Amino acid sequence: MNGQAAGSSSGGSGDGGAAPRRNTRKPKYSKFTQQELPACKPILTPKWVISVFVLVGVIFVPIGLVSLMASRKVVEIVDRYDDACVPPNTTDKLAYIQNPTISKNCTRTLTVPKDMDAPIFVYYQLDNFYQNHRRYVKSRSDTQLRDASKANDTSTCDPESVANGTAIVPCGLIAWSTFNDTYGFVHNSKNLTVDKKDISWKSDREHKFGSDVFPKNFQKGPLIGGKTLDPNIPLSQQEDLIVWMRTAALPTFRKLYGRIHTDLKKGDSITVALENNYNTYSFSGKKKLVLSTSTWLGGKNDFLGLAYLTVGGLCFFLAFAFTLLYLIKPRKLGDNNYLSWNRNPAGR
Amino acid sequence: MDVPAKLPDPVPSPILRHSPSSGSAMSRSLRSVVDMPSVTFAADMRSDSTRGAESTASSFESFRRAGSRPVPGVARLPTRRSASERAGSQRDLRDEDARFVYINDAARTNAPPARFPDNSVRTTKYSVLTFIPRNLYEQFHRVAYVYFLILAALNQVPQLGVFSPVASVLPLAFVLGVTAVKDAYEDWRRHRSDKNENNRTASVMVDGVFRPKPWSDIHVGELVRVVANETLPCDMVLVSTSDPTGVAYSNLKTRYAKQETLTTPPEQLAGAAVIRCERPNRNIYGFTANLELEGGESRRIPLGPSNIVLRGCELKNTAWAVGVVVYAGRETKAMLNNAGAPSKRSRLETQMNRETLFLSAILVALCSVVAALSGVWLRNHEHDLELAQFFHKKDYVSDDGNGNYNYYGIAAQIVFAFLMAVIVFQIMIPISLYISMELVRLGQAYFMIRDTNLYDASSDTRFQCRSLNINEDLGQVRCVFSDKTGTLTQNKMEFRCASIEGVDYSDIARQQPVGEGDRIWVPKKMPVSVDREIVELLRNGGETEQGRHAREFFLALATCNTIVPLILDGPDPKRKIIDYQGESPDEQALVSAAAAYGFVLVERTSGHIVIDVLGEKQRFDVLGLHEFDSDRKRMSVIIGCPDKTVKLFVKGADNSMFGVIDKTMNPDVVRATEKHLHAYSSLGLRTLVIGMRELSQEEFQEWQMAYEKASTALLGRGGLLRGVAANIERNLRLLGASGIEDKLQDGVPEAIEKLRQAGIKVWVLTGDKQETAISIGFSCKLLTREMTQIVINSNSRDSCRKSLDDAISMVNKLRSLSTDSQARVPLALVIDGNSLVYIFDTDHEDKLFEVAIACDVVLCCRVAPLQKAGIVDLIKKRTSDMTLAIGDGANDVSMIQMADVGIGISGQEGRQAVMASDFAMGQFRFLVPLLLVHGHWNYQRMGYMILYNFYRNATFVFVLFWYVLHTGFTLTTAITEWSSVLYSVIYTAVPTIVVAILDKDLGRRTLLKYPQLYGAGQREESYNLRLFIFFMIDSIWQSLAVFFIPYLAYRKSTIDSASLGDLWTLAVVILVNIHLAMDVIRWNWITHAAIWGSIVATLICVMVIDSIPILPGFWAIYKVMGTGLFWALLLAVIVVGMVPHFVAKAIREHFLPNDIQIAREMEKSQDSHDVTHPEVQMNTMARA
Repeated sequence: MNGQAAGSSSGGSGDGGAAPRRNTRKPKYSKFTQQELPACKPILTPKWVISVFVLVGVIFVPIGLVSLMASRKVVEIVDRYDDACVPPNTTDKLAYIQNPTISKNCTRTLTVPKDMDAPIFVYYQLDNFYQNHRRYVKSRSDTQLRDASKANDTSTCDPESVANGTAIVPCGLIAWSTFNDTYGFVHNSKNLTVDKKDISWKSDREHKFGSDVFPKNFQKGPLIGGKTLDPNIPLSQQEDLIVWMRTAALPTFRKLYGRIHTDLKKGDSITVALENNYNTYSFSGKKKLVLSTSTWLGGKNDFLGLAYLTVGGLCFFLAFAFTLLYLIKPRKLGDNNYLSWNRNPAGR
Repeated sequence: MDVPAKLPDPVPSPILRHSPSSGSAMSRSLRSVVDMPSVTFAADMRSDSTRGAESTASSFESFRRAGSRPVPGVARLPTRRSASERAGSQRDLRDEDARFVYINDAARTNAPPARFPDNSVRTTKYSVLTFIPRNLYEQFHRVAYVYFLILAALNQVPQLGVFSPVASVLPLAFVLGVTAVKDAYEDWRRHRSDKNENNRTASVMVDGVFRPKPWSDIHVGELVRVVANETLPCDMVLVSTSDPTGVAYSNLKTRYAKQETLTTPPEQLAGAAVIRCERPNRNIYGFTANLELEGGESRRIPLGPSNIVLRGCELKNTAWAVGVVVYAGRETKAMLNNAGAPSKRSRLETQMNRETLFLSAILVALCSVVAALSGVWLRNHEHDLELAQFFHKKDYVSDDGNGNYNYYGIAAQIVFAFLMAVIVFQIMIPISLYISMELVRLGQAYFMIRDTNLYDASSDTRFQCRSLNINEDLGQVRCVFSDKTGTLTQNKMEFRCASIEGVDYSDIARQQPVGEGDRIWVPKKMPVSVDREIVELLRNGGETEQGRHAREFFLALATCNTIVPLILDGPDPKRKIIDYQGESPDEQALVSAAAAYGFVLVERTSGHIVIDVLGEKQRFDVLGLHEFDSDRKRMSVIIGCPDKTVKLFVKGADNSMFGVIDKTMNPDVVRATEKHLHAYSSLGLRTLVIGMRELSQEEFQEWQMAYEKASTALLGRGGLLRGVAANIERNLRLLGASGIEDKLQDGVPEAIEKLRQAGIKVWVLTGDKQETAISIGFSCKLLTREMTQIVINSNSRDSCRKSLDDAISMVNKLRSLSTDSQARVPLALVIDGNSLVYIFDTDHEDKLFEVAIACDVVLCCRVAPLQKAGIVDLIKKRTSDMTLAIGDGANDVSMIQMADVGIGISGQEGRQAVMASDFAMGQFRFLVPLLLVHGHWNYQRMGYMILYNFYRNATFVFVLFWYVLHTGFTLTTAITEWSSVLYSVIYTAVPTIVVAILDKDLGRRTLLKYPQLYGAGQREESYNLRLFIFFMIDSIWQSLAVFFIPYLAYRKSTIDSASLGDLWTLAVVILVNIHLAMDVIRWNWITHAAIWGSIVATLICVMVIDSIPILPGFWAIYKVMGTGLFWALLLAVIVVGMVPHFVAKAIREHFLPNDIQIAREMEKSQDSHDVTHPEVQMNTMARA
């Protein structure tokens, strides 16, 4: 009997009472409100299942083959030099690398296993270097890199934010630890020029690292982490730094050092004159020099091709297996005899 | 028959009765605890686990007493229950409990310390100022949100700062914000309706004249004048009405102004009269007050529920009425009862907590692994840390204690690692799930409300979702408890037959429609067929014994009631149309019947009635009226006849009447009548027995004195009046009995049949007697001929136990006979209220339960309202079966609140049932589409959504976890922090909500055609531990695919973490969306838009994030998308991730199909070419 009061003041979301008074409260019919929107109701029929598997197989196997071929085409020379470049009778590698008076020059000889067409990419590879370590990835100041006026924006850069009382530019562990081994290549007693231009992302050079931001107060702390930067070159042109600051996703990674625009022939011997400056001895990291050609797939990696081939093969197998299963245990679709209440009727 | 047991008025629910008296303190405390004021009793019953056994015990005490009253006889003085009942309706009105209302003197009435609230109502929860704190306070009642808040706070500790401060609070802020917007919108709607309500105008007496005034300005004590069809602004005691006799009608109820005030012009009442009434309470059917007229001799006039009109009702058929405001605004009974949605928790949500615990365990395990490994790593590298460029343990700049930068020793680092891990992996517990569920329920409710199949044209009511928490429970119901009258039947009574003086007049063949002929009075509704023989007897029976009795019989029908006739002018000026207004449909039917036989009730005032007796108007003085109560189960009037005799007419339930009838007077008639009663009730008719006695002068005077004393008594008025009634209602002469048909509602038999096919047990609980109940049971197909009936109706404890034992042995025998469940004989249990009392008293509940669950149908007859709740509780306590109670009257409230799902029928009876219900609808048969279609959908959708939410968050967390293993266990994420926090709330939230609102596993037609499909919900097929484990395994597999395929491909490459992170982000988002897409059953354009749109939105978000130059990952997505490897890997991840799910799905759907799968295929094939033969086949199947 208190219906009206309840209707008008309960205001519960279920109560449609607030609607303007119509002659009838009958809900208006629409396909939407009656949940009868036209809809497609796909069903996994045997035909569908088998075609999906066949289709995936048909797509995957060729891609796998192409990828595998691409990967196989890549010629790669990997040379680990961290141990080899330590003078033979050094017992304390750490003391060696930390001692600035010892010459760090080192010569390595590489043999080209197959023809390598230009451009040949020169990478350095570090193992066990956790560029994704939490302490490390956070220790940078992107605002400072970009904007000369934000030089003092170093709050996120600890423990390499200030040295001798003034802000470091570029600050932070990442910049501080920039890789500083250098490589020179001699091929057939001719110097191979290593093109170090455009090894970093264009977007980084243009937008991320300021062209008016110059290194300042850099590597002046008690502990030297890596490369020293020329204070007269703006950050946007310090490409080694830019490459280094694209922190790697995984603890084993390569970074581009430069490109060689000379074709190398099979059996050629290349002499590498390198400066072994970077300290990986403190954490038993490895340093490798990598020369590699490239394809659309990137470097040498058989995994993708193999994965595609495996999946494609598996799908063909599944298509076959399902065909077999469907033949062995066929079931009429939508047969109401399969309904549970019809399956074991009492009378039969 | 037990007519009155279902009259709305006389049997108010005990809940209401309890509230003002003994329960008031408790109810108040409960209100704050439970936040649902109207459910005092139920709350205390339901909360037995938390509140301790005491309150339960006491409610059951009263419950048992309710039924334990001996059938006949009333002389017995009030048991505890009747005491509490008396307290409810006629409770002692002490001064300190009373409120004094000075008529037309609002200033004096409201003088301190009284200060009653004005008539403005406020149903809003918040004001502009309090919104934020209050809403937040309410939202943080959720444990999950507190968990996320703690994590966000932890994240602000510098050592633990995983995310930037903004990013860490963003997800929580987002869900809080969405919820707040939703709450604010709802509250704004309430605010708007309050405003409308408060600004309505009513004419209020100011300085002796009635002037319009907004509702909100009306004060207690003022006089308000209401005209026809106007809504009453507040609770008022009627002072005068347009009707000279002081009658006013509000909706269905008839109300009276007291003669004493009627004659005084309202403005003169100022200062001359004061109303002493009880404090505001929720009892709609009770009101106790006295009117004290101060002028001249001081007089005290008792006021009762029939003198008050309530806020929200409309004045009907009365030109105007003037009343004095006694309760205003939030103190009106309507507002006090306006409890808002009851808060229940769905079963799915409860089960979900179990899986949430599992997830928490997984979370703790992941964090522990990370913490332990980080400890091991630090230990192994202890000596390298100082010089390793990526660690740089020493801090050379600042000179704090140990000279270390952010390093506190291995132990501390392990603890930090653990806490950081919790922060990074926090979304293992899906933060957006709760808000998603709310939004989904809102959407489901929208569709249920808009469903034209749930709209009742006859009462113009839509489906109502009053509770928004238990939509999905509708899909798991196993047991329906239904009220009978008004729920299964229409509660529109029709007089069918009579037994007068032992002669049965029920031969249909003899009946003919009432001849219009020369009739002056035409009842508005219910044309009655009349029995020619009776007409003849009345007309020409003259002085024969039989004729006299027949006249007295119909005179009794015309007088012994509370019906008020309303004369309307018909199209024909010579004829008057009479509209019989009354609360009881039975009485309306009886009075209409009397009118058809020539005893037309024409006029009723509080002092006399006028009856057109076979064309001759006669005036009868109503000297006294004992209203119906559920203890006596009868009512009586004392009539002063024109021939100066004083007659007592009594009508009531047969069991109560035969106790007060003098059987020695005419034993043959008594025997014959009993036989006829049995026959009537076997036909499903409601029976009433009529008796009378002529009172001698002395007897009458003795009664009159007692009556007057009782009715003005201040203490225990109700009990005294009952005593007076019991004293006079004895040694009656049996006049006869009547049979009234209560018609079934539309589609009830079909609905019950469908529910039964759906595996839902239907229990009918009725106050009717056994024969009536059984015959109604047959007519609504609840009972069938092939059922074996077990009947338990015992008059003693021992016989009850015996019949229970017999029943158990019978059940066991039948069970052993047929081990095959399909072939077993269907059983029906019929049990009556008395037996239930004995069973509950002697703790044979377990035995009863054993019998009851073995039966397909249970019919409980002659049950008291409280027993209904007890029966529901019997099942609820012992099984995990989902229970649903459906009813329409105040007597069903306890049952509705007790059951897991309560449904109110919004019909003719008051709004009590609807107010207590979770859902309300117009017809019983709507239960079929509600459960079978919407319930099924809701359950399936919600179950899937919860599992999917768990799965998609777990997948993401596992991807993070695999990466953490490659970062020196330092909780770095390659995926940007923004993507991490947006993943759960933006990237993947919308599709799951849309699918959970719109997806349908089967169409409406199929679900209705094969009710057995409902079993999926009962068997919990859409959400169970097995499915959860499957989803989790899938989640781990997919995370492995997402992580390791790119990992292996990019090992020893120049890939940077931002690019790889973007690949992972897109891969995982696409993967979980495709997973969802694969499980979507019906694709409409909205689903398409949501799923594909969400992938596009993710891509856009990632692009936007990567366009911010000050983030380390600047431009990564553009760069990486330019490489073929990226796309090759994305494709590989998706295919490898989906293959197991696809294979499992293909196998499950084809080789292990469930019913839903088969039905889907049937639906599909029917869509393409409408085959008719499955239908035919189904019918034969159904019969088998």
